[in-house]
Amino acid sequence: MALVNWLCGGWTALVFAFLYVPIILLMVYSFNKADMGIAWTGFTFAWYEKLWKTQPLLDALKNSVIIAGITTVLSVILGTLGAWMLYRYRFPWRKALSTLVFIPMVIPEVIMGVSLLIFFTLVSGPLNAWLATFSEAEWGLGYSTVIIAHTTFCFPFVLVAIQARLAGVDPCLEEAAMDLGAPPLKAFWLVMVPYLLPAIISGALMAFTLSLDEYIVTLFTTGPESQTLTLKVFGMAKKGLDPSLNAISTVFVLATALFVVLSEGVRRINR
Amino acid sequence: MLATTGVAETTGGSRRPGWFGWLMMAPMLLWLVAFVVVPTGILLVYSFCQRDDLGEIVYSFSWENYRRIFFDSDTGKFGTTYFTVFIRSIVYAGLTTVICLVVGYPVAWFIGRAPESRRNLLLMLVMIPFWTSFLVRTYAWIMILSNNGLLNSGLEYARLISEPFEMLYTPGAVVLGLVYSYLPFLILPVYGSVEKLDNSLVEAAFDLGAGPVRTFQEVIVPLTQPGIVAGILLVFIPALGMFAITQLMGGGIKPTIGEVIQNQFLQARDWPFGAALGMTIVVLFAVVFWFASRKQEPA
Amino acid sequence: MKPIRLLLAGVLIGLVAAPLPAMAQKKKNVLNLFCWSEYVPQEVIDGFTKETGIKVNVVNYASNEEMLAKLLAGGSKYDLVQPSEYTIEALVKAGKLEELNLANIPNIKNLDPKFTKMPHDPDGKYSVTWMAGTVGIVVNTAKVKTPITGYKDVFDGTHKRRIVVLNDAREIVSWALNSLGLPINEITAENLDKAKPLLKEWLPQVKVYDSDSPKTALLNGDVDLGIVWSGEAAILYKKDKKFAFVLPKEGAHQFIDSLAIPKGAPNKENAEKFINYILKPEVSKLVSEAFPYTNPNLEARKLLSKADQENPASYPPGEPKLETFKDIGKAAKDIDKLVTDLKGK
Repeated sequence: MALVNWLCGGWTALVFAFLYVPIILLMVYSFNKADMGIAWTGFTFAWYEKLWKTQPLLDALKNSVIIAGITTVLSVILGTLGAWMLYRYRFPWRKALSTLVFIPMVIPEVIMGVSLLIFFTLVSGPLNAWLATFSEAEWGLGYSTVIIAHTTFCFPFVLVAIQARLAGVDPCLEEAAMDLGAPPLKAFWLVMVPYLLPAIISGALMAFTLSLDEYIVTLFTTGPESQTLTLKVFGMAKKGLDPSLNAISTVFVLATALFVVLSEGVRRINR
Repeated sequence: MLATTGVAETTGGSRRPGWFGWLMMAPMLLWLVAFVVVPTGILLVYSFCQRDDLGEIVYSFSWENYRRIFFDSDTGKFGTTYFTVFIRSIVYAGLTTVICLVVGYPVAWFIGRAPESRRNLLLMLVMIPFWTSFLVRTYAWIMILSNNGLLNSGLEYARLISEPFEMLYTPGAVVLGLVYSYLPFLILPVYGSVEKLDNSLVEAAFDLGAGPVRTFQEVIVPLTQPGIVAGILLVFIPALGMFAITQLMGGGIKPTIGEVIQNQFLQARDWPFGAALGMTIVVLFAVVFWFASRKQEPA
Repeated sequence: MKPIRLLLAGVLIGLVAAPLPAMAQKKKNVLNLFCWSEYVPQEVIDGFTKETGIKVNVVNYASNEEMLAKLLAGGSKYDLVQPSEYTIEALVKAGKLEELNLANIPNIKNLDPKFTKMPHDPDGKYSVTWMAGTVGIVVNTAKVKTPITGYKDVFDGTHKRRIVVLNDAREIVSWALNSLGLPINEITAENLDKAKPLLKEWLPQVKVYDSDSPKTALLNGDVDLGIVWSGEAAILYKKDKKFAFVLPKEGAHQFIDSLAIPKGAPNKENAEKFINYILKPEVSKLVSEAFPYTNPNLEARKLLSKADQENPASYPPGEPKLETFKDIGKAAKDIDKLVTDLKGK
């Protein structure tokens, strides 16, 4: 058994190498003097300087993170509740609902983007008319629409991940808690959620990643003030992705890695 | 005994939802109706319409778009390029799923059996590469694989090859790119199942004399099956619609269904036809899924 | 439990608060610019804001159709868009553009008269030319020693799978039509049928289809020839003079990208101010330096460096055979079908 674990460990290391090789490469090239191409012409911090001065890029990164964060939270809530309810209850059109959940995953992104855009446009008319009766605010394409769009196709991933974990769970777990007098909500919270936590974390990671990288759906549902980093990067592809994009990716990766290491450290200290 | 489960029919609860149940379900139901059912309905309507000169919709009912998908416009026979395109996408997605499964399962196993304090860290490490921008990542691969790229230059330098080896703009490069992008989406769900695996069951199998292979086949796989199925779904389905990778790493020579649909909206300006293609995929999927989950129901 | 409750509360507040910025789109002094990515350098935008105090929100698109799709589906209210010539024609026909108040744009006098009152906007009422360009052939002269003068040379069979072309069905079909001497704007079933066998011969020789950054494949040595945008060719030439640019003798597409104001734009005057600002020679020069297409602003051209003025991709010498695209309406889908079918086999 130990041998198997060692083998798996070795394999995992190889796979991690595979995953990180392009990343290391792009980090290295963020210091390349040349603005495109493979040739290394010299070491420089110039791109980081440029990045610091390019407000729109930084704004876009901020937008991306905020949108991804909120999307993740919403997806986890919807996905967990959904998976739990599909598991726990039987009702006539349960199968149809199960299938319906997969639709956002199956639908080609451009279709999802366009259909949501049409939907939002249709809705915005009456909605703004109603708003106008008591306030000056106007609702339009922006953060809210992007978040809604992202959540719609992210939460099925969370749901599927949690369903997998629920399969074969001991039904007595929850019963026991309730027999001991806990109301259903508390039973759910204190028993099911900790049990589901690894799957919730898996789902959250997937949702966050999907939202960060999403292009087409964002393109159609965004407003002028909620540009995401991915939109900006795809836009720059025509001119040529200059290394300031490598720089921003590097910064983000290092920042998250740092954050992870720090929180590990904090946890260990708290022990 | 152990409920052999697919994804749709996680058996367990058998009661009907009370008011509390409905309340908890309401958010998801409302969300689905508002942001999935209604927009899909709009598209369904579009798919029966036609486009005018500017590209705007003409609301007149017609089966034309669907006919075009299934019947060749020149010969009138059943079978069109769209079939070929769709099958190609399925093949790519299927190949990707299989490779991800083989490559990713051991990783999920390792992380799932790792000491508890390390697990989340390892999971994040799996995901972090994908928080870089997709295009920048893909261009990094292009830098590695292209004719003047790092891999070829390295191999030439080491005198292993005399001429650049064509790696980029081939189907192999596409599969590589797809596997790279979707690997985490297999590792994470499988991890969810592996993590709760009761070690004593595995040990019991060993005690009873089963070798590692047999244990894997008859104990581990069935117990982690829900995770495997989830992983397969979360790789195969999105991979079907993916085309950015086929364009960037495959040169866009052979179109995939995702690209064809995108073209209808962004080049041909024929939204109704694009909608029809999309609807066809959705319906096909729903039918397959319905029957597949039906087969597993009697557990 | 307490920290979790706090977290949940925070999340809920966040959920409610997040849409609010989107809602409070009150009358600020802004300009919503919907443009080709990187066509408008940051320094130009910053300069404009500095001079006028107007905040510019830039949203990018990577193709005319993306822009059109969003405009037609009823996206946000944009003040300025940058359509190509055939898109302007379609938009004008459908009444989707505002008429320009030329009194607000005095700098229009800086434009080369060749680029005003063009076929797609005969009275010059709706658009102001931003940049022009062509689609031509880039040759890596270090690898390709035979002379390349047109499409037929590119696809003569000796460069099989060493070619990159634009992933644009309309462009591709126009090359075939040009080679056959057929008019590129008459997309009829018979013309398409005539083009089909030629395309059948050509397409298998293509290694990469790329409209976004075809220079990548050329730079990386994966291909030796390309039929690409002149801006890409100019960038390649600047990098290494081995990348020669040739306008095909059978005829080439000249595209005209212009600034136009969509109907119902909330900040029309700000848009006109921006157009006027762009037409200043010093500003236009910045645009050219960032993106070396053909600058229609004569005063700006005088300010460019000698090397830039002599870049054959930006300012082709001689009198090449050039033609703009006209709007073809529904025929666009026939073109797409033709190319998809051929690619798919």
